[in-house]
Amino acid sequence: MNESATRIILKAELLALRHRLLKRSPVRLVLLALFLLVAAVTIGGAAFAAGLTAGQFLPNESDSILSGGFTALSVLMLVVGFPTVIATFFVGRDLLQLVLAPIRPMDIFVARLLLAMSANLLISSLLLMGTLGVGVGSGAPFVFFPLVVVLIFVQVLIVTALQAILMSLVLQWVPARLARDVAAAVAGLAGAGFYLAWNLSLRQTFSPRSRPDFTNVNAVIQRIEWLPSAWPGHALSAVIAGSLGGAAIWLMLSLALAALTIAAAEILYRRTLLAGLGVFGGPQAVWRRAPAKPASVVVKQGAGSPARAIAIKDWLSYRRDIRRLSRMLPAFLFPIGYALTFLRPSRSINSFWTEVALFGFISMFLSSALATPSIPSERRGFQLLRMAPMTMRQVIRAKVMLTLPPVLAITLLFTIVVAATSGHGIAQLAEVSVLVVWLGIGFVSIGVSAGGIDPKFEASDDRRAVGVVGTLAGLGGAFGFGLLSVGAFALFVFGSAAAAGTAQLGPIPSTPIVGALMWVGGLGLAVGAAAIVVILLWLADSRLRTYEGTIAAV
Amino acid sequence: MPLPATDGHIAVEARNLVKQYGLIKAVDGVSFQIRRGEIVGFLGANGAGKTTTLRMLCGLLTPTSGTALIDDIDILAQPLQAKARLGYLDEEPFVHPHLTGREFLNYIADLYRMPRGPERQQRMERLLRLFELADRDGELIGAYSHGMRQKIGLASLLIREPSVLLLDEPTNGLDPRSARLVKDLLEELAALGTTVLLSTHILEVAQALCRRVAIIDRGHIVATGTIEELRAQAGSEQASLEDLFLKLTAGPESRELIERLLAPKL
Ligand SMILES: Nc1ncnc2c1ncn2[C@@H]1O[C@H](COP(=O)(O)OP(=O)(O)OP(=O)(O)O)[C@@H](O)[C@H]1O
Ligand SMILES: [Mg+2]
Repeated sequence: MNESATRIILKAELLALRHRLLKRSPVRLVLLALFLLVAAVTIGGAAFAAGLTAGQFLPNESDSILSGGFTALSVLMLVVGFPTVIATFFVGRDLLQLVLAPIRPMDIFVARLLLAMSANLLISSLLLMGTLGVGVGSGAPFVFFPLVVVLIFVQVLIVTALQAILMSLVLQWVPARLARDVAAAVAGLAGAGFYLAWNLSLRQTFSPRSRPDFTNVNAVIQRIEWLPSAWPGHALSAVIAGSLGGAAIWLMLSLALAALTIAAAEILYRRTLLAGLGVFGGPQAVWRRAPAKPASVVVKQGAGSPARAIAIKDWLSYRRDIRRLSRMLPAFLFPIGYALTFLRPSRSINSFWTEVALFGFISMFLSSALATPSIPSERRGFQLLRMAPMTMRQVIRAKVMLTLPPVLAITLLFTIVVAATSGHGIAQLAEVSVLVVWLGIGFVSIGVSAGGIDPKFEASDDRRAVGVVGTLAGLGGAFGFGLLSVGAFALFVFGSAAAAGTAQLGPIPSTPIVGALMWVGGLGLAVGAAAIVVILLWLADSRLRTYEGTIAAV
Repeated sequence: MPLPATDGHIAVEARNLVKQYGLIKAVDGVSFQIRRGEIVGFLGANGAGKTTTLRMLCGLLTPTSGTALIDDIDILAQPLQAKARLGYLDEEPFVHPHLTGREFLNYIADLYRMPRGPERQQRMERLLRLFELADRDGELIGAYSHGMRQKIGLASLLIREPSVLLLDEPTNGLDPRSARLVKDLLEELAALGTTVLLSTHILEVAQALCRRVAIIDRGHIVATGTIEELRAQAGSEQASLEDLFLKLTAGPESRELIERLLAPKL
């Protein structure tokens, strides 16, 4: 019997997936399944509830809501799902094998398209739940529900094919060895732009001293109505409105668009498959540099230091790894976006605490972006550290010391700028600076530990460099540490005020004794926060010391 | 050929090393001793357990049971002292793709706390020239060919003059000239007292370089000794190392298998 090539390819992929899953210990599998189940129920449930409410109480807005939803989903898929699409279409030695085999590129394309959709389908399940909610809420006829499934599937197909087209185009016009970096940069920039635009629109929507202003959202959505990404939304709202003819027209348009993009993607993919594989099939592209100047004349003296060696190596690698740099961009733009959204000059007491929360967020965000991948990014080079006469404690310390300067520099700069614009005094600036330094040290240590607790040395992408356990430990640790630290800070600030007799604490009197008690409480919280950091560092050290995995090349 | 400078001191010792992966014992009770200044060949079929044994000796893998000693130092009990004396080259060398060869050698030298200064610099230049990497300096290791990566890996061991070298297929992927260079280099080093344990599939390398060989088969050491001793053990005076190897790691006769594969279909 002759099986189709597509089926054979897909079967092999599924088999590999099964083996990967079964390789894990049953306990971890069950925990993972439970976690996913809870996440699916809560997140899906929330989306459903939101849709339900919207469908019930905003019947006139259902067209805007649905087309906005589909557009948002498309943008999200375009940005978040991009690495998966690149990986399935152009990366992997198994692709080389397929190309060498007597298989039509068409078969490879179809098999890969179905695989590439997996990430996008996962993202789209959110919209699926929301849209179903809208349908139930607005009492849509039965056809609405199967139509939702079909339309979302078609949308995922379109976006995935669009991503393949984008990648193929980049490959056609950009020299092959730069293609991957350019693609990553495009995705990173698109993501950053999206965040910023989103933040700015949020800022307008939630203008100060007023209730959320939804007319603004509607205005934005009306501007995107003509976008093809909104067509499925129009089809669905036509069904809700009882106009099956209108629905059929929008549906046909969507289907035609899908056929068009897929055909274009297939043709382009066939033309660039070989060119792309040269770049993506092997190890990541490394730029050839012009020959360096003759060896530096200045010969440095003194004993070699492992910590400095790691620092120099990381700095050189980071500078030359365009992909990692382009991923950092959104991380750096994020805090700026938040700042634009939530900060505005005001002299009220409350703004001080808003700022403290903001500094905490920025510090946490930067640390997790910079510190978390610092150990996994050693990749196979980690084995060099294990073979060297140094302890894992030294490695962790080196990584913390390395990440601390940029995080502290940026957060402190930010603190000073904010303090200057909001007109707080030097005393408050000093207080906040101490807090920012404390938070920076803690968050960076927690980030490095999270990477050490569950490193994925084989991941080629910083975002997948830490496993589920490490991510959870890092997030939990960071939240605990952040809350305790800010709590301690508050107790210190109010305690001082109470001791000076200037605090306004409602029924509690402002006396030195109360102040001292608050200070003691603050110390307790600070010790608790430090304990979280120490425990995570210890966990990371013991995990790294007993690390045994072989780290495959590439 | 310079005579090996063995003084009878045991430089590398495996005591009953066992490594278990799930139900499979990849290495099952491996013991041997290597004297200082010896070059010992480590032979065995694919999957016999060579890499696993070497990785336990250098501390990358923790043995399920058993002990690995470097200069009488237990690598698990006193890892830092043992590791300082050791140089291990993996099947696929550990390198950093975004560094140039020179930067990588500096990195390794710093990791091992070698004094910085003109001496180190000179040694580095000499090694780079020796391995014909000196004029590829502007290039990142990620752009190196397989053989070049192998060579920079070897250079990164030699820059710090370890007293024990554990090499996993060091000549794999090297052109004949470079392979010859490595062979000569190892002989010189051994004459100066460096101990070498190298795994290889190229029996000529083993025959030319190693006074003694150890043959591992499915996790067990099936023979150790000089080639003469192995011949005596096998009871055939004229046997080549290849014959001995095939005899000691017996599987189905390959001729028979080939005939069956190529037999006309029924
Ligand atoms: N991480 C691992 N998990 C499970 N089994 C492993 C692992 N590493 C090695 N093995 C198994 O241990 C056995 C010995 O492997 P090893 O790599 O030591 O062989 P080798 O002698 O170096 O082979 P080659 O000559 O092909 O390099 C093999 O059967 C292999 O499948
Ligand atoms: Mg091996």
